[in-house]
Amino acid sequence: MLFGIDVGGTHTDAVLIDRQSGIKAWTKIPTDPQDLLGSIRMAIKEILSQEKQVNIRRFNLSTTLCTNAIVQDALEPVGVLVSAGPGIDPWSFKIGDFYEVIPGGLDHRGTEIAPIDMDYVDGVVSRFLKDGIKVFAVIGKFSPRNPVHEQKIADLLNGKARFVTMGHTLSGQLNFPRRIATAYYNSAVWPIFNNFLKSVEGCLKEFNLTPQINILKADGGTMPMNRARWIPVESIFSGPAASVMGIVSLCEIQEDAIVLDVGGTTTDIGVFASGVPLIEPENVQLRHRPTLVRAMKVKSIGLGGDSAVSVENNILEVGPKRLGPCVAKGGKVPAFLDALNCISKEGYGDTDASNRAIMEIGQGLNCPLEEVALKVIKQGCATLKQEVMSFLDEINERPIYTIHELLQYRRIEPKKIYLMGGPAKILASYIEEEFGLPVIVPDFYGVANAVGAALSRPTTQAELFADTEKKIKTIPVFEIKETIPGSYNLKQAREDLINKMIDYITKEFGWDIEPDEIEVIEESSMNMVKDVFTVGQDIRVKCQVKPGICKDYKNSVRCICKG
Amino acid sequence: MQRVKNKIGVVFFPAFDWAIFPTHPERQERLLYTMDQLKEEGVFDIPGIREYKPDVAGIKDVERVHFCFPDVESNITDSHLISAGGTIKAARLIMEKEKQKAFALVRPPGHHSMKVVHGGRGFCNINIEAIMVEYLRERYGIRKVAIVDTDCHHGDGTQDIYWHDPDVLYISIHQDGRTLYPGTGFTGEMGGPKARGKTINIPLPPHTSDEGFLYAMENVVRPILDDFQPEIVVNSAGQDNHFTDPITNMDFSASGYARLSEILDPDLVVLEGGYSIQGALPYVNLGIVLSLAGLDYSYVKEPNYDPDEFRMDKRTMDYIKRTCEKCVGSYFSTPPLEIALDRDGDWIVRSKEIFYDTSYIIERQREFVLDCDNCRGVIKIYSSSSRVKDCLGIEVPVGACDKCIKRGEEEFIEAKKKGRFRHIQFIDRPGKRVLRYDK
Repeated sequence: MLFGIDVGGTHTDAVLIDRQSGIKAWTKIPTDPQDLLGSIRMAIKEILSQEKQVNIRRFNLSTTLCTNAIVQDALEPVGVLVSAGPGIDPWSFKIGDFYEVIPGGLDHRGTEIAPIDMDYVDGVVSRFLKDGIKVFAVIGKFSPRNPVHEQKIADLLNGKARFVTMGHTLSGQLNFPRRIATAYYNSAVWPIFNNFLKSVEGCLKEFNLTPQINILKADGGTMPMNRARWIPVESIFSGPAASVMGIVSLCEIQEDAIVLDVGGTTTDIGVFASGVPLIEPENVQLRHRPTLVRAMKVKSIGLGGDSAVSVENNILEVGPKRLGPCVAKGGKVPAFLDALNCISKEGYGDTDASNRAIMEIGQGLNCPLEEVALKVIKQGCATLKQEVMSFLDEINERPIYTIHELLQYRRIEPKKIYLMGGPAKILASYIEEEFGLPVIVPDFYGVANAVGAALSRPTTQAELFADTEKKIKTIPVFEIKETIPGSYNLKQAREDLINKMIDYITKEFGWDIEPDEIEVIEESSMNMVKDVFTVGQDIRVKCQVKPGICKDYKNSVRCICKG
Repeated sequence: MQRVKNKIGVVFFPAFDWAIFPTHPERQERLLYTMDQLKEEGVFDIPGIREYKPDVAGIKDVERVHFCFPDVESNITDSHLISAGGTIKAARLIMEKEKQKAFALVRPPGHHSMKVVHGGRGFCNINIEAIMVEYLRERYGIRKVAIVDTDCHHGDGTQDIYWHDPDVLYISIHQDGRTLYPGTGFTGEMGGPKARGKTINIPLPPHTSDEGFLYAMENVVRPILDDFQPEIVVNSAGQDNHFTDPITNMDFSASGYARLSEILDPDLVVLEGGYSIQGALPYVNLGIVLSLAGLDYSYVKEPNYDPDEFRMDKRTMDYIKRTCEKCVGSYFSTPPLEIALDRDGDWIVRSKEIFYDTSYIIERQREFVLDCDNCRGVIKIYSSSSRVKDCLGIEVPVGACDKCIKRGEEEFIEAKKKGRFRHIQFIDRPGKRVLRYDK
């Protein structure tokens, strides 16, 4: 059995799924933001009360713990040490109160321009330690090309710091400012996340459960607890990804499609290309700092059930503000959901209150109740459409670097809409009309996120760089740096990377993976020429394991979505 | 967090799958390290700097500018249409006011491509700046344009295309033609009879470094631009004046380039040459991006750069100052012609022999410009090359008078009738059409 749990901002959703009989138990309880562990404990208790005979193999957890810590600035102070060659002034990337630029640098091929000044490092580290700093982040410009400077500094910190994040271990992606921010946040949430993990383990033991614990990531994949301990930053923003994975679990999607998850304050838009959810290698921003955390391509827009409805100068406005809950839920300001209540047979909460509130809006516009409710809904749907279209334009505008790709370029054109969240059922026909596309509302749409969490598989991405002139190859995220013969080629590089990824996933994640599940997303081999002679090849390969769901559980939850 | 002064768009298209041949300077690897540097610096994450995908230019966009023989298709590859399209895209960002400035970081380059095209010259097949400028003229109705060419090689193609156009100011600053390809671009080349003084050439001696370049920018280019008042300033930015460039002999630096951009203050920068792909391009291109956005570029320094190594001696500086004085004069007090024009009836005639070093083609042409009192005058060019013989191009230029519109049409009809030419291309700019005739 799989246990999926999504500890969100307002609700904690949990499901228990059996390989044969599908969803055995589910629950939706309010989250106590002050006590996430308490919410988890409650959810487990609730599930176990519904299903007595449990044998949980995997416990998959999506949590806002790190996201909240970052948003609320409840972070451990981090000693940030950066080294940079020429370019933008490294001080412009300053983050936190303990940031220092170490003399030394590499160029774009990883060649040392200036050695690291170790005496300087020593001085800075002593000062930071004296200030009570326990965790560090070490980041070098172009460290994915050559991690030597990061390693030297980390070596010096060995035994002195409780935890050190080296930038190159997070991603092979080139982006120094993002690497700095990602490494900083990784170290900053490390203590709180690791304490939390211990408590979760303890909590499961209280229930006599000892499953394998996995943590959900923003890209819709999982990582095992042992891995998550080192890269806690990857656990941020996993909620929207869990919802998208929920749709993938519940419905068979093969075409270009979009997912709309209508929440209280916002609607999350997700996009599928030929049935595969779009991943963005660099998506997540933390406190306005972009990071290297891979995430599902999701856009949140300011329109949800509680979005305020008002009339200003005879003009009707729907959202993007939320001024408390909707009237049906005891709020004071009429909201989007109240309008839906007016026209629906199955209303939500106090439908009479909704009617009264929307009637008042109607008076301002000299409009009868039904008509004004319809207007509100149509306007909301129009806003949704507008946002979806601009989101698609943005996706379709992404840069491309080869003639082949540019000429073969296929725009994403959705054929279906998958709708979930509270008001999904009522909204469906209006969305269908607005977009001119079939709308599908799956069963269990209320806990789809927890289903997604339960069924998600590990994901990972890795890059290999080989320079046959220098006779060196690196795979930064696996901390591999090895010599290669001058004859090393793209085919070998591709095989090397795929084998290393299989090795890594099998050993670290305890997961059996087939070579064909690893996808090459970018590869190139270019002549490096000096004067007029070819002196070597610059080889680059990037592979990923796409997000997906456990095949052996797929059939048990499928076929419960309706058009 | 860095704050930009100007919102800029960067159309980055490195064409990682195209080369003239594998070890040619214009090869796949050319913008690889520039990409690495821009990505590693997180340039596209800076609010106000955005990366765009290029458009693909159409055959029509090329035909509006060039006489291509036997046709456009046999002279180009997809990469040329994308690099021209990328330049158009960058310009559209400005015209649609989406961005204040834009940088087309595309390849292959185009400034050696002349009015007539039989093949590739100096790694160029079609002139990406001219294609963009004429697109803007047709779509947005702009008239006055300045193209400032800072490539180390004289932009003989752009000069040729705008030789007779008084509304396009072309300024080229480059290594002296006596010491470098294509061997032209002397101060005496000032434009055709109807546009004299609107082509300005600033040849600089080998080993000119920052001081010399910036002197010319401040004392020649800036005052001329201030006077000409173009609607748009385009910088054909070759990065091959860099001290590490393998095929030229100048000593310019990345910070010098960034400063040059600051003085020039262009709306649009278009990458031209530059073949020091590791030592120069990553730093120069980064410097230009930062400078365009109005950000600090003082940390953009080549690892091996020591300004003291490249100080200019007084004699060379004096020589540059004298050249600059002459150039200022070419614009503000344009000297009269030294030799009378050749005439044939009401046509002004010029003969040329052109060598296409990239395609190894030789072309001979006779150019006829109608001496019209009301406009620039119809142009026709008889052209034969070692590849295609007996070609004719007729152009009724932008802003042509009614008489010239009629005359152009008549010339086209007559030439078809006579049957002397195998390929005729008729560009009718006021009528927004291009007609072809092939025997």
